[in-house]
Amino acid sequence: MPDDPQKDELPRDDAPTAAIRPSKRLSIVWLVPLVALAISGWLLYKSWSEKGPLITITFKNAERISEGASKIKYKDVDIGEVETITFSPDMKQVVVKARIDKVAEPHLTDNTSFWIVRPRITAGKISGLGTLLSGSYISMEPGHPGTQRRNFTGLEEAPFITTDNPGKYYILKAEGLGSLDIGSPVSYRQIKVGQVVGYGFDDSGQAVHIRIFVNAPHDQQISTNTSFWNASGFELNLDATGIKLDTESLTSILSGGISFDLPPQGRPGTIAKENTTFELFSSRKAVNEIKYHLTDTWQVYFNQSVRGLTVGAPVEFQGIKIGEVSSINLKFESITMSFRTPVMLRIEPERIFGQDPDFNTTDGQAILNTFITRGMRAVLKNGNLLTGQLLIDFDFYPNQPAQKITYEDAIPVLPTRQTELQLLTDSLSTILNKVEKIPFQQISEDLHALLKTTNTAIAQIPVQSLGEDLRATLKAANTTMTHINTMAETVNTQTTPAITAALEQLRTTLADMEHSLGSDSPTNHQLRQTMRDISTAVRSLRSLSDYLDRHPESIIHGKEDEMP
Amino acid sequence: MTGRKAGLISCHTCHLICPCPDLPSPEFHQCPRCGTRLRVRKTNSIPRCWALVLASFILYLPANLVPITTTTVLGRPSKSDTIMSGVIYFLDSGSWYIALIIFIASVVVPLMKLFILTFLLTSLHFGWDWLPLERTRLFRLTELVGRWSMVDIYVVTILVALVRFGAFANIEAGPGAAYFAALVILTMFAAESFDPRLIWDRMEDHNA
Repeated sequence: MPDDPQKDELPRDDAPTAAIRPSKRLSIVWLVPLVALAISGWLLYKSWSEKGPLITITFKNAERISEGASKIKYKDVDIGEVETITFSPDMKQVVVKARIDKVAEPHLTDNTSFWIVRPRITAGKISGLGTLLSGSYISMEPGHPGTQRRNFTGLEEAPFITTDNPGKYYILKAEGLGSLDIGSPVSYRQIKVGQVVGYGFDDSGQAVHIRIFVNAPHDQQISTNTSFWNASGFELNLDATGIKLDTESLTSILSGGISFDLPPQGRPGTIAKENTTFELFSSRKAVNEIKYHLTDTWQVYFNQSVRGLTVGAPVEFQGIKIGEVSSINLKFESITMSFRTPVMLRIEPERIFGQDPDFNTTDGQAILNTFITRGMRAVLKNGNLLTGQLLIDFDFYPNQPAQKITYEDAIPVLPTRQTELQLLTDSLSTILNKVEKIPFQQISEDLHALLKTTNTAIAQIPVQSLGEDLRATLKAANTTMTHINTMAETVNTQTTPAITAALEQLRTTLADMEHSLGSDSPTNHQLRQTMRDISTAVRSLRSLSDYLDRHPESIIHGKEDEMP
Repeated sequence: MTGRKAGLISCHTCHLICPCPDLPSPEFHQCPRCGTRLRVRKTNSIPRCWALVLASFILYLPANLVPITTTTVLGRPSKSDTIMSGVIYFLDSGSWYIALIIFIASVVVPLMKLFILTFLLTSLHFGWDWLPLERTRLFRLTELVGRWSMVDIYVVTILVALVRFGAFANIEAGPGAAYFAALVILTMFAAESFDPRLIWDRMEDHNA
């Protein structure tokens, strides 16, 4: 206790007690709750203001999606989170409720799509592998602006085209889908420039409409004249030039694909608009062949077997294809009680007259009429000797009897000519017929009579005197021949051996000469040896003269011993 | 007879009893032994305590609503847990004892502490002289139990430090942890600023 006598002395009880006045000033400690309030309030406001709408997405299943954890992403950035996963009332679908950030709220429209991103491995594509580790998420694609919505149906597969991909959609009309599928590549000169995004039947249900998307800037390549073909698989051609394998990419072989290009000699034309409908050809070959829009039907009758002629067989004009056989029928004619085989031909006049837009079919009929009057006829020809395939060939046969086009159900019926084989057979039979008509009997009888007459005439000739003269002449000739013979013999026996001996001698002499002068003959050898000796002698002489030139005194003193 | 009446002050730090006759005085007294400023009662105890309790209540909301941890485990999307969702997670996974510990330490204790302090402050405000001994015991209970609230913060800190395996597993502390830590600290300060002698002062005034 500190010693303070002054304080101790003060009478404590007498002193007036100071009034305790609580401090009116607010303590600084009240700042703490204020700060806490500010922080919490700000947090609350932030979460409230950022709290986006709760949306409902219906999926077939919620594989790898979990409540409170799976995210909704757009361009791989979180824009929401799955809150609950429940079933639809009929238990057929799952209903995912997700909270979307406020920033994405304006984009929740009719055109917005959602799908679950899962690892996917298909022939052409591997995607979503990242989700193997990170778990699946729901991807959102805002799409074009539309009316606001909060309930969505999730897609089973990711849409292949996102709205921010510039490019154009086109529709291809095909007879069937083939091996194409959503996602099949659309390539231009083997480079992938787009893909199939959908397919379905057209309104009539008779054809398939395939929707494709081509990325910019390749959509500029697609003009109104562009041809599309199914590039699935590969094409193997075996012809006179060898084996030719035509394929698109490996993906196309595995999973199908579509290619496009301008037809050969085709002009680019104007750039096709979005959603233009094109025809999808079955192969590249088909594109090159069927580029003719106009077709004409002709009909021909052959008075012979059409075995070997098939539907699709080419119709040629002087060997150039102008069309093909479209049908072969057998027709019974009750009036004449006979069979006829009308053959329908599908002719593409553009192959003949070119793709002239002003070309009129009626003009063609007139031209055709002229040709027929000039002798144009259809003939069955052998297309392939091995298989016996026939084709129909038109050509001019000027010496034909004049014929005109007739019409059956407004289809022109063109005159035909028989096959060359048929013609040959016909000619042969004509010859045979003529041969048959020759009166061989009469001829032989006449001949017999003639011979008899001749015989009689010969018997009356004086053979005896004639024979004697002949004999004398022959004897003289014989003598002459003997002389000639003797002379020849002399030449043979005397002159010839002499010449032979002389020649023999000459040959021996030549052989000797050859022997003594030949490259390996001793003479030659010795000659060469001598020449070499002379050459050595000359060299020695030269060195001697050189030496003497430098040491003339050596003639007197003799050669000095050279210093080493 | 109390120290205050006898003009004696107990030092808050070294508990030395000093006679201070002229209380309150404009100058302040110092403890002759340790130099601490001597006060009859804790300064501004009730308003301070009120302020801190109020701040704690305010912080209690974000502490429980904002995620305290974010867990990323291989093959699962990252998952954010609040205190209650963590408790529910442990309960669901069968570890009910861990759930209980976390629940008691992180939910029951801070709340209990806050309610007890509120109750005590209210009782002082209205000048109740009802069961002073029990009220003092309640206060002692809050001091005893209050420190355990920090368990959750420790768990989070240790987990964040330990579970760091990159893409395989990762735990990160969420903003909730900061709010919770602030809450616990504020309640501790609140309890600290509360002077239980005030309970008895009231009794004294009554008896006088």
